[in-house]
Amino acid sequence: MKLAGLKSIENAHDESVWAATWVAATDSRPALLLTGSLDETVKLWRADELDLQRTNTGHCLGVVSVSAHPSGVIAASASLDSFVRVFDVDTNASIATLEAPPSEVWQMQFDPKGTTLAVAGGGSASVKLWDTATWKLIASLSIPRPEGSKPSDKSNSKKFVLSVAWSPDGRRLACGSMDGTISVFDVARAKFLHHLEGHSMPVRSLVYSPIDARVLFSASDDTHVHMYDAEGKSQVGAMSGHTSWVLSVDASPDGAAIATGSSDRTVRLWDLSMRAAVQTMSNHTDQVWGVSFRPMGGNGNRGGRLVSISDDKSISLYGYS
Amino acid sequence: MNKTEEEKELLLRQLKESLDANPDDPSLHFDLGVCLWERAESKETAAEHFVKAVKLNPQNAAAFRYLGHYYSGVSVDTQRALKCYQRAISLIPDDSDSGDALCDLLEQGGKESLEVAVCREAADKSPKAFWAFSRIGFLQLHQCKWSEAVQSLQHAIRGYHNSPQLWEALGLAYQRLGMFTAAIKSYGRAIELDDTSIYALIESGNIFLMLGSFRKGIEQFQLALKISPQNVSALSGLASAQLGLSKECINLGAFRWGASLLEDAHEVAKANTCLYGNMSCVWKLHGDIQLTYAKCFPWMEENHSLEFDVDTFNTSILSWKRTCLMAAVSAKSSYQKALHLAPWQANIYIDIAITSDLISSLNESYEHHLGVWKLSEKMALGALLLEGDNYDYWVALGCFSDHNALKQHALIRGLQLDVSLAVAWAYLGKLYRQEDEKKIARQAFDSARSIDPSLALPWAGMSADTHARDPSLDEAFESCLRAAQILPLAEFQIGLAMLSQHSGHLSSSQVFGAIQQAIQRAPYYPESHNMYGLVCEARFDYQAAVASYRLARYAIKSSADTIPKSLFQDVSINLARSLSRAGNALEAVRECEDLKKEGMLNAEGLQLYAFSLWQLGRHDLALSVAKNLAASFSTMESSSAAASVSFICRLLYNISGLDSAINSILKMPKALFQSSKMSFIVSAFHALDKSNRLESVVSSSRSTLASPEDITGMHYLVALGKLVKNGSESYLGFDSGIFHLRKILHIYPNSNLIRNLLGYLLLSSDKLKYTHIASRSCRIETSNVTRKEGLKSAWEILGAGGVACNVIGSIDMKFSFPTCGYECLNGPKSVQELQKCLRREPWNHNVRYLLILNLLQKAREERFPKHLCTILERLITVAISSESYSKQHMSYQYQKFQLLLCASEISLQVGNIIGCIKHAENASALLLPDGYLFFGHLMLCRAYAAEGNTRKLQEEYVRCLELKAEYHIGWICLKIMESQYEVLADSNILESNFMEFSKEQKNSMDYWVAIFSLVMGLFSIRNKDLLSAEKCLAQACSLAGSESCLLLCHGTICMEIARQYHDSQFLSLAVRSLTKAQETYLVHLPIVSILLAQAEGSLRSKEKWEKNLRHEWFTWPPEMRPAELFFQMHLLAMQSKVGLDYSSRVESCQSPQKWVLRAIHTNPSCLRYWKGLHKLVELA
Repeated sequence: MKLAGLKSIENAHDESVWAATWVAATDSRPALLLTGSLDETVKLWRADELDLQRTNTGHCLGVVSVSAHPSGVIAASASLDSFVRVFDVDTNASIATLEAPPSEVWQMQFDPKGTTLAVAGGGSASVKLWDTATWKLIASLSIPRPEGSKPSDKSNSKKFVLSVAWSPDGRRLACGSMDGTISVFDVARAKFLHHLEGHSMPVRSLVYSPIDARVLFSASDDTHVHMYDAEGKSQVGAMSGHTSWVLSVDASPDGAAIATGSSDRTVRLWDLSMRAAVQTMSNHTDQVWGVSFRPMGGNGNRGGRLVSISDDKSISLYGYS
Repeated sequence: MNKTEEEKELLLRQLKESLDANPDDPSLHFDLGVCLWERAESKETAAEHFVKAVKLNPQNAAAFRYLGHYYSGVSVDTQRALKCYQRAISLIPDDSDSGDALCDLLEQGGKESLEVAVCREAADKSPKAFWAFSRIGFLQLHQCKWSEAVQSLQHAIRGYHNSPQLWEALGLAYQRLGMFTAAIKSYGRAIELDDTSIYALIESGNIFLMLGSFRKGIEQFQLALKISPQNVSALSGLASAQLGLSKECINLGAFRWGASLLEDAHEVAKANTCLYGNMSCVWKLHGDIQLTYAKCFPWMEENHSLEFDVDTFNTSILSWKRTCLMAAVSAKSSYQKALHLAPWQANIYIDIAITSDLISSLNESYEHHLGVWKLSEKMALGALLLEGDNYDYWVALGCFSDHNALKQHALIRGLQLDVSLAVAWAYLGKLYRQEDEKKIARQAFDSARSIDPSLALPWAGMSADTHARDPSLDEAFESCLRAAQILPLAEFQIGLAMLSQHSGHLSSSQVFGAIQQAIQRAPYYPESHNMYGLVCEARFDYQAAVASYRLARYAIKSSADTIPKSLFQDVSINLARSLSRAGNALEAVRECEDLKKEGMLNAEGLQLYAFSLWQLGRHDLALSVAKNLAASFSTMESSSAAASVSFICRLLYNISGLDSAINSILKMPKALFQSSKMSFIVSAFHALDKSNRLESVVSSSRSTLASPEDITGMHYLVALGKLVKNGSESYLGFDSGIFHLRKILHIYPNSNLIRNLLGYLLLSSDKLKYTHIASRSCRIETSNVTRKEGLKSAWEILGAGGVACNVIGSIDMKFSFPTCGYECLNGPKSVQELQKCLRREPWNHNVRYLLILNLLQKAREERFPKHLCTILERLITVAISSESYSKQHMSYQYQKFQLLLCASEISLQVGNIIGCIKHAENASALLLPDGYLFFGHLMLCRAYAAEGNTRKLQEEYVRCLELKAEYHIGWICLKIMESQYEVLADSNILESNFMEFSKEQKNSMDYWVAIFSLVMGLFSIRNKDLLSAEKCLAQACSLAGSESCLLLCHGTICMEIARQYHDSQFLSLAVRSLTKAQETYLVHLPIVSILLAQAEGSLRSKEKWEKNLRHEWFTWPPEMRPAELFFQMHLLAMQSKVGLDYSSRVESCQSPQKWVLRAIHTNPSCLRYWKGLHKLVELA
């Protein structure tokens, strides 16, 4: 397995690029790349040429997260001022604007069926679930306070929720917090199940293995990538090698590899069978905020693709094989 | 221990041998062990020997140490090593090698408590176990026991005072204890010992930052960066030190300086973000720097040479705004990066809120709402969600919110959390003020101010609130000044300028500085330029004022819709006024015409228009404008109506003369003149009007005068009026003016205005006695010498008074016997005062001129001593080279003329006749009236006479006669020249000229004729014609009977005649004159009495002879008494000896013989004295 650099766009945005995701292919078009940046815009790119399709404006502050509906028709972008804009990918028509209290929108993700949007709730120490049909808030999954702590206790801000991930079967939801813990919820019952421990610093990215709903990968500022048995409440592996914070992690669609982006300005590809980095890409000149594999399916997909985005304002596309 | 290998070998062999001989000697075993230990290959054997040594002598600590080294290093057996070391230490606690090794071993084993115990034990055992103290110190530091650590470390440092680590550790302990100065000293010592100690450099830099000495901090961080250029702490420290320094500058109002510092800081912070991009605080620092830059970057008039027009002004403003905006945007993205990295940090939300608030204020089109909340409000809420109990965040929310209810709620919430939150009180006050709740607002400001007087906002609020409780304008100004000084905010500064306009502080330098700063930060705001213009105008810098009014108009034009028309009108009128004051009447007229087209010409504008037209000489148009102005009286407020009326009156006077002005005044309603200003104008007209048509208007308007300044000013005017009214065609009525002023001076004895005018009038008056007392009327006050009151200042009068009298008043009587009867002993005083003035104002040519004249007077009186002549020569050279004498104005030319004559006089006195002639010729060549030039030629006469050039003398004499003097003294001097040098002339011409001239000057005619007669008499004496001389002098005495000199002369002549002709009639005449002379004068002239004594003696009146002789004795200053006086005293002494005992009398203090001896001593060449002595000796 290896990555091959295909194309790189310098100054894809005017400022740091902070978020990237793939929009699934639809009948009319292939999969597209969606990026969000500090320059308050969201851009839509066509692979593999990385042609700019459109620039969406409308956010007042930097875009911290973008997420695409599994159908590939709609997508959502969230900015630092805690607005989530849901829009039609092809027309850029606004579908909904979800407003949350400030500091309470971070990473977000559509569930695999596309009925719910999960939003990492930052300072509220919870994950908010929005119904994608009515765009109403349907549930708020709160991390329970440590025993004996009062509501006014400031320690709650330690549970600042940064990241969120759906299990591929859609039954479980995991969220990562600033204190390094990962919380797992049962979505159907809207119930907190347990914590996954092991990280000592903020967990900025989470992803479930696409082939195994129990396996969860987490990326943390403590420079490690962990592999958990999310049901069994245990850490099953740790991968080290980055020299600075690991900012993002994504699993390849075949489930054989994960890619990570880090503050040490590199992108690494990890072979899960060896639990070791097999390739390190150093083409970015600043920290890498996001990595994302193109999902399987759709027509015209000739092979695996990985994209990485960085503070150096550039987007890089790699072939994965 | 530089032993060679061979020596070592030898030693080893010897030791082995002696050990063989003495196998039980522990010291030999030890020595051998040491020898072997030094060789790497024989450590095992060495250890064996050590073991034997300790077995034989268990007290050998060194051996245990070596064993410890062996077990820890060679055969790794930690337990044994520990035991050996412990043994070594328990034997010698000071052993630092063992101690350190033991502790290292314990630390490796993670046995920290054991380590502490070992160290403590050693420390307890020996105060010299410094290794133990230092270990304990470090451990305590590690456990955050700062104060204990300080003690241990201090103890350790006694042993290892050159250890930079210990000093560093001590510094850290002090720092944590808050003892910053001690910490800085400790770190400083560490840096001294090891200048690569980056930790100490950075920490001391941080302490400097905390203490606010940013410069020192910058130094430390720069040193640290030299050692490690990529150290994140050093880079951050440097950037934040520069930020701190620049904030200091900005708070002083030095925006440009602050901005340049921030540019440096930006570079440093930028480098730091490149190196450490995932540290939130690094980005926050960068954001702080950029935000401060956006807030302080000053607008500059880039090219001063380039004149602005609307477009260049607009582009300049736009580019300035863009720079600020760019910085703010960059700050915002830096903060966002910081937040993205650490979203749980509440303060960054506030930073973003502040930045976006600034951006939206800089860029109106920026704000695009997605929801009901403003971005800044929302971000402030974000911070509060994370830290709801932080009162600062509540205040921030209160500031950003647009909804007054929410504002109030947020601020009150802040106050609930901390009741002594001055900022919250201040903003609450501001909020209430906006809602017109003046009273509560004031209370809020009051409490804010009492909690924190160094907060600017409440001061500004207090000053803005002038109407609520009516503090005086001055108070408001003071408050606002304080606000602007604490925080140089453009709003405060403009407010300050506006307040100063009303309170009369417009020209103060605080306001000037403030408004200059305001322009740098609010260049788009027309009022700032307008106020700057007003300030410049108040400081008489009209060009700058014109320029800034123009800028103000550009600013209005570029934001036309929001600004009221009236401001445009105000600015334009200001511009026209400044133009006209700057002397650019043409432009001023153009401005007025523009305004007129717009229909915005108000009363002030009309005045300016008329005035500028008048300046341009377009009198008719000016009058018609004035008529327009007059037509609008009825609609004006009383104050502006008064201004207009006074303007019209003056304009009429200047254009159509006094009568027309008076007629129009008579036509106007009297009510218009009920103000002090008007009263002055009317009074001035009244003063000039001989027919007193304005009597009633004047008397009614004068009733409005109230303040002492106004009243004395009016009296001043009245006095001047009396001069004009009571004078003749060519002559002012000084007497009545002086009389009036004297009366007033009794009422207002402190008015310098009146005093100076009185002095001036006294000097200008032709009555001789007045000139002597002129200088007494003025006061020289050092406190306000710079202010000129009235026509002449006090020192000018004093200086002129000094030369007005021939007596400079040397206290020293050896030069002359002053005969001036007015006791004007101000000569030395005036010379000193003038010197003081000259020192204060070395550029003042008037002072120098008067000083030269006074010094010349003094030199003349002292018979031109060498040093004075030198001083005068130099002073005159300096004075004449002054630029002001190149001006063509009469007064300057006259001064130059006088200076040249002085120079000429000095040259003559020092015997430099060529120089004298040169100066005098220069003087005579000046363009001056004949009456002045006369003296130039008179000087030439004297010079040629001294040279002996009769032909030239004759020429100059004739020239003098042609020119005719305007002063008596000129004629008299000429007469002297004529008589002394026997110039060929018809003497009658001169005399008749003199008499003719004297008749014109009635006041002083007698006096001068008397002097003329004196001169005639003196020449008659020269010609041995005593009888005609007596006649002349008798005439002189009859004309000026009070002049003792004349009387003395007359008396002397009479006595001489009596002696020659044996005529007792003349003797009695002499007695009469001399008696008069003795009586009239205050300071008694010498010789008068002795002559009188002689005369009385001749008339056989022995008693009077004695009395007068005795009197004579006291008229002489002791060191100047002549020999004859002593001789005469001897006669007196003889008399008293013969007669009764008058021991109390002067003559009897010495014997007659002694008197004669003194006479001989004084003048040994007189035979009479010798004879007298001879007689006395014979008698004895």
